[in-house]
Amino acid sequence: MSTNLSRRELLFGGGMGLGTVALSALLAEQASAGPLTPKAPHHPAKAKHCIFLLMEGGPSHIDTFDPKPKLDQLHMTRFAKERNKFEANMNTGERYYVKSPFTFRRAGKMGIEINSLLENFSDVVDDCCFYRGLKGDSVNHPTALYHLNTGNQFGGDPALGAWASYGLGTVNQNLPSFLVLPDVAYPQGGAANWSNGFLPAYYQGTPLRPEGAPILDMAPPPGMTAPRQAANLAFWKELNGFHRARRADHAELDARLESYELAFRMQAEMPGVVDLEKESPATRAMYGIGGPDKDADALGRRCLLARRLVEKGVRFVQVIAMGWDSHDYIDKAHGSRLRAIDKPVSALLKDLKRTGLLEDTLVVWAGEFGRSPDNGIRRGSTAWGRDHNANAMTVWLAGGGVKAGAIVGATDEVGGMAVETVHPLRDFHVTLLHLLGLDDARLRYLHAGREKQLSQVGGQVIRPVLA
Amino acid sequence: MRRLLPLFCFILPLFALSGDELFRERIEPVLSRDCQGCHGSVQALSKLAVSSRAALLQGGARGPALLPGQPDQSLLLHVLEGRNGLQMPPGGPRQKLPPETIAAFREWIAAGAPWPARATEAKWTYKDEDLWAFRPVRPFDPGKTIDSFLPSPAPRADRRTLIRRVTFDLTGLPPTPEEVNTFLADKSPQAWNKLIDRLLASPHYGERYGRHWLDVVRYADTSGYSNDFERPNAWRYRDYVIRSLNQDKPYDQFIREQVAGDELYPGNPEARIATGFLRAGPWEHTAMSVEAVTRQLFLDDVAHHTVSTFLGLTLGCAKCHDHKFDPIPTKDYYRVQAVFASTEFARPKLPFLPTENTTGLAAGAAHLQALYDRTLARMKEFRQNHPDSEEHEEFKLYRKHAQLYQDSLHRFAPLAFAVSSGPLDGQTDGGPTLKYPPLAGYRPAPVHILPGGNIQSPAEAVTPGVLSVLERVGGYPAAGIPDRVAGRRSAFAQWIADPRNPLTARVIVNRLWQAHFGEGIAGDPSNFGKMGKKPTNPALLDWLAGALVHHGWRLKAIHRLILQSTAYQSTNFTPRRLEAEALRDSLLAVSGELNREAGGPGVFPQINEDVARQPQHRMGSLAPPYTPSPLRRQRNRRTIYTFQQRSLPDPLVEVFNGPTLDLACERREASTVPTQAFGLLNSQFANDLALAMAARLEKEAPTLRTRLERAFALAFSRPPQPAELTAATRHFRRMLAYHQTNPPPAKPQPRPLVHKITSELTGQTSEFLQAPDPAPYEANLHPSAVGPATRALSDVTLMLLNANEFVYVY
Repeated sequence: MSTNLSRRELLFGGGMGLGTVALSALLAEQASAGPLTPKAPHHPAKAKHCIFLLMEGGPSHIDTFDPKPKLDQLHMTRFAKERNKFEANMNTGERYYVKSPFTFRRAGKMGIEINSLLENFSDVVDDCCFYRGLKGDSVNHPTALYHLNTGNQFGGDPALGAWASYGLGTVNQNLPSFLVLPDVAYPQGGAANWSNGFLPAYYQGTPLRPEGAPILDMAPPPGMTAPRQAANLAFWKELNGFHRARRADHAELDARLESYELAFRMQAEMPGVVDLEKESPATRAMYGIGGPDKDADALGRRCLLARRLVEKGVRFVQVIAMGWDSHDYIDKAHGSRLRAIDKPVSALLKDLKRTGLLEDTLVVWAGEFGRSPDNGIRRGSTAWGRDHNANAMTVWLAGGGVKAGAIVGATDEVGGMAVETVHPLRDFHVTLLHLLGLDDARLRYLHAGREKQLSQVGGQVIRPVLA
Repeated sequence: MRRLLPLFCFILPLFALSGDELFRERIEPVLSRDCQGCHGSVQALSKLAVSSRAALLQGGARGPALLPGQPDQSLLLHVLEGRNGLQMPPGGPRQKLPPETIAAFREWIAAGAPWPARATEAKWTYKDEDLWAFRPVRPFDPGKTIDSFLPSPAPRADRRTLIRRVTFDLTGLPPTPEEVNTFLADKSPQAWNKLIDRLLASPHYGERYGRHWLDVVRYADTSGYSNDFERPNAWRYRDYVIRSLNQDKPYDQFIREQVAGDELYPGNPEARIATGFLRAGPWEHTAMSVEAVTRQLFLDDVAHHTVSTFLGLTLGCAKCHDHKFDPIPTKDYYRVQAVFASTEFARPKLPFLPTENTTGLAAGAAHLQALYDRTLARMKEFRQNHPDSEEHEEFKLYRKHAQLYQDSLHRFAPLAFAVSSGPLDGQTDGGPTLKYPPLAGYRPAPVHILPGGNIQSPAEAVTPGVLSVLERVGGYPAAGIPDRVAGRRSAFAQWIADPRNPLTARVIVNRLWQAHFGEGIAGDPSNFGKMGKKPTNPALLDWLAGALVHHGWRLKAIHRLILQSTAYQSTNFTPRRLEAEALRDSLLAVSGELNREAGGPGVFPQINEDVARQPQHRMGSLAPPYTPSPLRRQRNRRTIYTFQQRSLPDPLVEVFNGPTLDLACERREASTVPTQAFGLLNSQFANDLALAMAARLEKEAPTLRTRLERAFALAFSRPPQPAELTAATRHFRRMLAYHQTNPPPAKPQPRPLVHKITSELTGQTSEFLQAPDPAPYEANLHPSAVGPATRALSDVTLMLLNANEFVYVY
């Protein structure tokens, strides 16, 4: 059955209950003061939207955007890392250096080195600012993911997208402000990665699921046809009208009526938004959709959808690409990931640029940590992979307000440790908010008697990444 | 400067602060956050450091930065104000600090720029009104009533409103039409008290108030994080809480059991189960975790949560520095932590109690055993066919499933999710990878103050202790806590559960008040410190606290006092949307599907199918899919008895503002969002229950009119008004016509579930079919099994269940 019904059909199909005009006027009035009404930023900023490409599992900076030729010399050199009560078991014991199995190409005006598998990406290198100075705190996936997404290693705090929605509201009142495009499986730590935490639920990330209904229960169950539902809702409105008359002083009743309205605007608009058939075959092919690589096809769909959502006025979109946790055989494991992201991510940047959206969209590419230059000997054998490393990673930014075509910061000669323009994760958060026109120190929320903010304790803007 | 006062004091009350407080609260955070990156001890650009008063006095390349008492002569203020072409922080006018911060600097310099030493004992002073919670509770006057503390209330609400209000309040369920009629018919002056007594005696009272308690405790049946391992025996703690509340166990005993039941009542199995409280938070230890850090996280968690649960203070703030707002020095934080330094996880054998529900254990164990055996057989078969089985994702999947099934089998075993002081003889329980400390020669690790919370740089060692502020401010003597392995928690529990402790009784009666009225007398029930909302009626709060102790710490006595007040019974009562659990339970109750059985291991309700089928990552592979309990009566238990999986909450509960299970929830939110409309209108669950309700109505009433009357009585606790009856009748007729021409959808066939796994090794994705659950699934009533009239009636009932009147309580 079609879900493409007009709201009039859905809500007023029965022609009963409150008059259409009166209700619409009431709703318009409510909307003007709603929690997601667009708000002025703290300071003028180019970026109005954000697309955050989350690479779950910890992509290796050494094998993507931060090549380390020194490792070619050290390859297979064994050494012992002393057991230390402050190190994870995984990172101690007998170890050996691992060179990158990949070759690198120089791309863009600056000749920035990137993995040679990223063929399409070389076209957009000049739009990106590669930041090599970031440091995290945790080498454990879920805690590191929570830290990256919410500023707190423990789940339960509001995600960056929730803070941005809280600070800026959203443009399109028919769609959620903060949408998440996960893989079929959720990343480690699950939905807490896009939680509204202690912020009101309006700011929660809503996952758009790649299979089944994009939003849970958005489509009625089998047998609940459009005319049947329209008739039901007319009766529902009538019931609520009787009740409302008896509870004249209970204003929340109107809010609930409005939420059903919004639900149906969403139900009407969403199928059109997620319909990628509306894009030209050339555009879809550019994103890798329909191509031989299944993972590229799936990620391409999410990246294209992200562009469409930003176009529709969604404030914050998080796209999740899984599977970067390459402890062994990094040539195969990372190789397949790189092939999977090349077309989708490059196409996203090109497409945003083509449509002029890149001007006011901040694009972020980041994993929860980088990887180690060395690997542990597991089950007595070596398998050329890399462990987790929170002391070094590469993230890149592109779009509104970002210094395009630049490398900022540096790691040591093997990529084990960030050594130049080093900043903790909280400064990265402060910087992202800054780029969106928000001041972390002012973007606060009083929760249980404590003023909370994304950076937890405050932080500074990483100025060299700014245009 | 003084002339600026009237301008700013209404924005920020900071001018009332002493110089020391001003420094701590307004100056020091700015210096460390905005300045010390460039002007600190690591790098000092322009040779200027702002890390100490002496460094500022000495100044840098441009001379002294600070002249105490002379703000207009101080370079520091010049640069903050951007005078003379020099501005800090750099980056133009946009980077300028907010005017109120600059004003604070001005005030601080004018006050002589005091720079109190970073002490481990707080030396600064507090405003009296911020210390109210530490002062002794006012003496209890048994002659007073709640109403004597309040302005005369609005008139009494009508009886229907009242029975609905109090039944939801005390049981989380709607009153049945029969209960409503009994109450309406009871004309005796004792009718209200009889009603209260009946509800307080109902087993559903413990389920309702137990849910409130579990919110604060962060109860879950799993451990969270990446593996989200099951805590197969945690349900015994959940049932302990419900039982304790139903028995009206004195609250001081309830505290002692949860904090130190193992030590104080060694012969009482109930008290051992109670210590599950101390382990309720999320916890994980993997090969990627650092053992010392894992342990430290547990100690942080248990100290903070014990204090915030029972004493309503945010202890965690004092972890890295002396508490910024409350008189809790860092030293106290670590002394409280030392109370738990000898607390180890334990899973002792503990036979089931006669009060526990063990009816489903054998069947549950047999069902899981079958799944486990089946998986083992597949592993064996796979190994025979693949010598390199370890390299196959399919094998890893079976192995992971076997491991998880095996762990889940413990649900049905007589074990307790508990702690002990020092390792328990012959018992280990750390989850799969944590090694347990050796029993012989066990000594708890010494606890040090960790400046900045940094575990790698321990400072002064501390002995176990309590919060010093209660003695310093309120005169409640600090308890001596022994430094031995055993006895630390006992002494601490006794110190909490003491009538002289000014916080304990106040905190719990405030939580109860909030449960009854939607808002506490003090608005932040887990923060009685300076930043928490002050009590709106401190005398009443104290009177209730005194009443609790006077009545032997029995919570039901407080419930009675509150419910008997005219304030509670008045028309001026803030309407509340049902919490997620009350909403789900009410849907089940009204449709006739609720199974009121109490206790036992968590059940698996019907949840959104897309969510149920979603792959769940466990380190290295995928977990078995979410499988609803096969029998309807198992699925349709009260929500408190559903399996609480941190990584997979019931989406219906989640969307109705169910709290994240990782955080203590002191108060439920009730925001209205459009996805709630989807959940209640479109979900299979809601539609199934609407149909079940229609079938129930047909069974219980003979005519359309009586069916509709019964529907209103069930859903809204009242008969329909004539206009409503007309509208409902018209809607039914209209839908009957619709259904007579539109056939029902076909019964759905079970969809096979395919696991898709992307190998970490190769990046290749492979797919495996999940074998269906061997237990036959008892489906819900389906539209194809009923006639057009029932389907039409279900269109009426679905809308009743979506109506505003159904989800709000007045």
